[in-house]
Amino acid sequence: MAPGYAIDALLFVAVVGALACLVAQPRPVLAMAIAVSAVELGLAASLWVAVLAKGPATAEDELFFVDAFSAFHLVVLGLVFLLCSLFARIYFADDGEHGLTKSAARRFGALWLGSLAAMVLVLVSNNLGVMWVGMEATTLLTAFLISLHPNRLSLEAMWKYLLICSVGIAFAFIGTIFAAASVQGGLGADALLWTRLAAPETQFDPTLMTFAFVFVLVGYGTKAGLAPIHSWLPDAHSQAPAPVSAMFSGFLLNTALYCILRYVPLVRHALGNGFADHLLVFFGTLSILVAAGFIVFQRDAKRLLAYHSVEHLGIIALGYGLGPLGTFAALFHTLNHSICKALAFFAVGRLGQRFGSHDMHVLSGAVRLTPLWGFALLVSILALIGVAPFSIFMSEYQLLRAAVGAGAWLVLTLFLFASSVVFISALRHLIDMSFGDPKGALPFRDGTGAIAAVAVSTGLLLLLGLWMPSWFVVALGRAAAAVGGRL
Amino acid sequence: MSAMPALLAVIHSVGLLTCFALLGTSRIGACIRFLSIQGILFSLVPVIAHDDGLTLRVLLLAGANIGLKGVIFPAVLLHLRTRAGFHREVEPFVGFVASILFGVVALIVSLTLARELHPALSHAPFVMLQAAIFLVAIGLFLIVSRRNALIQIVGYLVIENGIFVLGAITVVETPLLVELGILLDAFVAVFVMGIAVFHISREFGMADVDRLNTLRG
Repeated sequence: MAPGYAIDALLFVAVVGALACLVAQPRPVLAMAIAVSAVELGLAASLWVAVLAKGPATAEDELFFVDAFSAFHLVVLGLVFLLCSLFARIYFADDGEHGLTKSAARRFGALWLGSLAAMVLVLVSNNLGVMWVGMEATTLLTAFLISLHPNRLSLEAMWKYLLICSVGIAFAFIGTIFAAASVQGGLGADALLWTRLAAPETQFDPTLMTFAFVFVLVGYGTKAGLAPIHSWLPDAHSQAPAPVSAMFSGFLLNTALYCILRYVPLVRHALGNGFADHLLVFFGTLSILVAAGFIVFQRDAKRLLAYHSVEHLGIIALGYGLGPLGTFAALFHTLNHSICKALAFFAVGRLGQRFGSHDMHVLSGAVRLTPLWGFALLVSILALIGVAPFSIFMSEYQLLRAAVGAGAWLVLTLFLFASSVVFISALRHLIDMSFGDPKGALPFRDGTGAIAAVAVSTGLLLLLGLWMPSWFVVALGRAAAAVGGRL
Repeated sequence: MSAMPALLAVIHSVGLLTCFALLGTSRIGACIRFLSIQGILFSLVPVIAHDDGLTLRVLLLAGANIGLKGVIFPAVLLHLRTRAGFHREVEPFVGFVASILFGVVALIVSLTLARELHPALSHAPFVMLQAAIFLVAIGLFLIVSRRNALIQIVGYLVIENGIFVLGAITVVETPLLVELGILLDAFVAVFVMGIAVFHISREFGMADVDRLNTLRG
């Protein structure tokens, strides 16, 4: 398929799937989510191959633009949605308070695939205004996924999410306006097209670009969960149904970070190296430190994972601020974190369903109770805190090398300090949860879907930790070059 | 276009007054009506500030904006107010007098900021640049200082007004698609927030968000 058509098809399939869910029966809805995600993953992969072979693709008169950076993100998006949809079928099949009524199933399907469509729109749009529209749409579509089972806590989390992120996104729009206004010589109606803005001959007004980036960073940073503007994140992640938390953590946050990264080459061009990088390093390091502090005192397993998201998004932002090598590591880390965090939320979500609580003192003896999910919990949290040979260890190691290369010694020290704090406190929680005595829950088994989701995630984490195929290194290098200069 | 500065000055001063009115009133109905006046006023900015003649596009967008912010949003909010049955912001986190004092400070700060920014945006009318910054500040303040969820939505829409003004005076040409997308987003946002408030008021008995304080740490 020609790359241009693949871009259109990505959007079309997701939108049609979302609309079809509005009229479908509950069981087909969940099957449809899996099918649509699988198709999206296939389309994204074909687009990735095409982009790597023939260079960036455009469609619809340059409204859409996909380069190695966005194609990579599209593939991660497809993978995360496929895994989460597989898990959603298992999670919602459980009767009782976690089950879905007919209307809730339709609502879930439509909003789930709708937010998939919105994220695809963010990743493929060349127009920074359309990208913003897509980002705002993700907030509006995902809000009711948090309160899929409406109760006091989930409504509270949903309202905070809606309000804080809407205001954040409004700030990002102010940044978008300033960026468009900073173009000198007038591009006219093309002033929002990224390909025009990133062209070497475009000149910017430095003052306006400074304002633009600060607003963009704070605005989209709110949605990406960077500290200190992350306050909605633990609430939303802990109250949403587990598949939704997995999707939030696995890709929604990355989509917001992606938006910030689209501005970085423009800012470097307008203001020289340094300004954007320093801000990214600052917010990244701050997020890592703040998250480490909260992880120490955490009792709720889902909130623990939520703060891990703040930490890892901080690590990714830090990587992007550390030059080409760091950008490479950040991209690799994006993939690793997305898979690993999705797996972690699956395990905690499924266990929490059976224990009736996410309190880590109650969740205990997971391995004995259910070997599959106990194993998943063990692997995902070990990987999250950076144990070798999982791939997160590799990407963090590359990031350390980038920090050494950039001579960022203070950042390096803070990062290592925070990582060891996280390592010790998470390990303490993990040992109890995995090997303690089971309290008040019966052993259970899940079917092949669950085994597939766990096997694929663990396999990828392990494989990428031990072996990076050379084409993959080239692909990541191209993606890094698109936003962060060449290696 | 000699009438342009005078007209903008009128919009500017009346617009600022609506902000102070929002800061000083406890009645939710009144807040919504002030918001409606403000929305209509600032929707006129692109029509007036457009110096290369009126195009159909500008008129269309201004019309859509007036319809949404002047009529539809206030109607939705008033309906919600009746439905959920709350009429007053009883005890804001920051009192009404202190709020007005904040407004004065915000006015001074926005003037300073606008003076800082104006050289880079020389084609934009200074008063409107200042108004845009002021509106964003007031909207943010309403969101953090009020307990009632409806007034928080009002605050969000005041920010929207500020952004609309900023966009209208700084970016000369944005594709119609983008502008329509933005309007659509605001439209959906108000409905989503409205539904959220409805659920919250049903579950909690009222829409005071200080009841929403269980989740922390």
